[in-house]
Amino acid sequence: MTRIEIQGLGLVGPFGNGVDAFAAALAGAESPLGQFPVPTPEGPVALPALRSATRELETFAPPRTLRRMDHFSRLGLLGAHLALADGNRPDLDPARLGLVIASGHGATGTTFSLLDSMIQDGDPFTSPIHFANSLHNASAANISLLLGVTGPCLTVSQFQLSVGSALLAAQLWLEEGRVDQVLFGAVDELSELIAYAWHRRRGSFPGPMRPLLTAAETALPGEGAAFLLLGREDGRSAYCTLEATATGGRLAEGLRPPPGDHLVLAADGRRALGAAYATAAAGATVSCFTPLYGSSPASPGFDLAAAALMLKAGRSFGSPGGECDFPAQVAQPGDPLKSNQITCLCLAGTEGFASTTLAR
Amino acid sequence: MRQPGPVAITGLGCICAPGRDLDSTLAALFRGTRAPGPPQRFSTTHGTRYPVFEVEDFPEVPGLLRTSALALHAVREALADADLDPAALGALRVGVCMGTTVGSTLSDEGFCRDFRAGCNPDLAPLDRVLASNPAAVIAREYNLSGPCQTVVNACSSGTDAVGLGASWIRAGLCDVVITGGADELGRITYNGFAALRITDEAPCRPFDRSRQGLNLGEGAGILILQSEATRRRRARAWVLGYGSACDAYHQTAPRPDGAGLKRALAEALAMNATPAEAVAFVNAHGTGTPDNDRVETRVLGECLPGVPFHSTKGYTGHTLGAAGAIEAAFTAAFLERRELPASAGFQDPDPDSGGGPVRVNTAFAGTVALSQSLAFGGNNAVLVLGRGERP
Repeated sequence: MTRIEIQGLGLVGPFGNGVDAFAAALAGAESPLGQFPVPTPEGPVALPALRSATRELETFAPPRTLRRMDHFSRLGLLGAHLALADGNRPDLDPARLGLVIASGHGATGTTFSLLDSMIQDGDPFTSPIHFANSLHNASAANISLLLGVTGPCLTVSQFQLSVGSALLAAQLWLEEGRVDQVLFGAVDELSELIAYAWHRRRGSFPGPMRPLLTAAETALPGEGAAFLLLGREDGRSAYCTLEATATGGRLAEGLRPPPGDHLVLAADGRRALGAAYATAAAGATVSCFTPLYGSSPASPGFDLAAAALMLKAGRSFGSPGGECDFPAQVAQPGDPLKSNQITCLCLAGTEGFASTTLAR
Repeated sequence: MRQPGPVAITGLGCICAPGRDLDSTLAALFRGTRAPGPPQRFSTTHGTRYPVFEVEDFPEVPGLLRTSALALHAVREALADADLDPAALGALRVGVCMGTTVGSTLSDEGFCRDFRAGCNPDLAPLDRVLASNPAAVIAREYNLSGPCQTVVNACSSGTDAVGLGASWIRAGLCDVVITGGADELGRITYNGFAALRITDEAPCRPFDRSRQGLNLGEGAGILILQSEATRRRRARAWVLGYGSACDAYHQTAPRPDGAGLKRALAEALAMNATPAEAVAFVNAHGTGTPDNDRVETRVLGECLPGVPFHSTKGYTGHTLGAAGAIEAAFTAAFLERRELPASAGFQDPDPDSGGGPVRVNTAFAGTVALSQSLAFGGNNAVLVLGRGERP
């Protein structure tokens, strides 16, 4: 049987960039709450949001290369660089490296800019650069182009279940021997469009997120990039193994988390999904870290990274905003892991679920 | 349980400008009928009205993107072709793997216009997109429980979706996979391709020396893949191989030496050890853009010298994320007929590329064919299909 490992992590989030910044946040530091300016007819609104900065990308690539790159692609490119650096596999063959990107919403900022060019300047003056960069696979294109990745390349968009769905492809590629490694990334940006829609639907909740209070509406919008360098077991340093990925519909029939597993929940403070998480996780030991990176389709990628770090450390991190209103045991900081496995669980209402089990 | 080797295709469905089902579409192709025209469903302020291949009189479905409505139309045909009772799907592990470009994009011009005008725009257009993810729409329609994946690899999405769907069968994840691609025509893609200056003002001429670019189209292509354990029907065709590779060269132009396409082709043939000599024909991407057709012709000349090839985009237009799936369905059907249609729009070979596609409907004797797609972002994807068991 092929054993697949997480060999490197590349994290770009509101907590900062890189494994150390993420580990510090998991150990108790908070992610700073920022703002996203949203124009409304009643005047500008400063939407509380968990935002991510990509200035560090300039340590990996010359500014001239990045000049026309939008925020969505910058998030992905920085995450990819960080994961490769953390994975430290200098002998990696770019033709045997697969690239799999999960993005729920894609390049929404540039899509809005594309529409602006059509509306303001007229159809004949539609921006070709915005058009090319508005495609969902623009981030993957920029990563492959600038890192020279020539293996298979895939972008998956399944909204909230994008990470689980895309991870299935990465796992199969490695099991089939199509590639030696996969650079897997979850990327989503908070754009003017997403922020406006969020404000309209949910208003401006000032925080803090309380994702395990399932009856409360405490979601905050987030963004970022969470990359995993995945590879077959090679005897070198790795965080953990990827045991199983499952995704599908009809939650009640399809989902049975392995009994005794520690669950990392992608609960993000949206009341509409609260009851489903409470049912799925009843009686389990649970953790939830979404207050560190907010609510976005990319958030389950950070869940995987958090689980990987817990498995490597052999102990739990505390769940920020960890009060829980359903019968589950919330893992406390420093608790030794009771199981060698952690299952990351993402629910998306009637659309189904995704679960990924990682092991020490 | 893992299933090594070929994966059975038991049903095909298709809707595009030439026809509302596969049979009527094939009839149009073999008659040589093509009828691109100015867009009917939207207007633009371009001085030139670039021709498109539009599916006429297709009803809008409230709350659903046209892309997903086209997909559902083709799924119904494919399930019937596979003799699968939709009501019985619930007892099987059925996955959905679909390619698209438009069907997952939060872009609505009216919403943006109102937003920029300082109004509070209706959120319904965004809700429509969120409710229209093609794979999720199909899974919801048939109450399916298996994996669900929408591939957004630009113009190779449909080909990639079929290849990935086949891997779910081989891995034992699914009994049945509904796979394919769907995309609709709209102002945004129309303006975008015009802005890139790769749209022909006349009906497109893939591989012709005078080609000026592509014509956009719309539609959906669906393939039903089934495991051997659950298959009751003879296979219409087989997925023998799939390969994909990235150029890492340019965001919108193919790598001139075709290195990515060659790797994808080699991987696809190697998957079931299909010898290159076994390939009877190639359904090329053949968009009609100067760069794409030059690279494809050179790669085919180098890797599969003398093997007949053609493009069907002269009949359908470039249907973007649907193209690879529609053309995979065509390729399976051509293998059944042992005949491929003339490459519409081709007259004179490009001296810069060498060789050209078939000029007339052409009979062949082999049982294996390739269908390939090239995409923005540098993706190259190739399917190897084998002739099925139906007479």
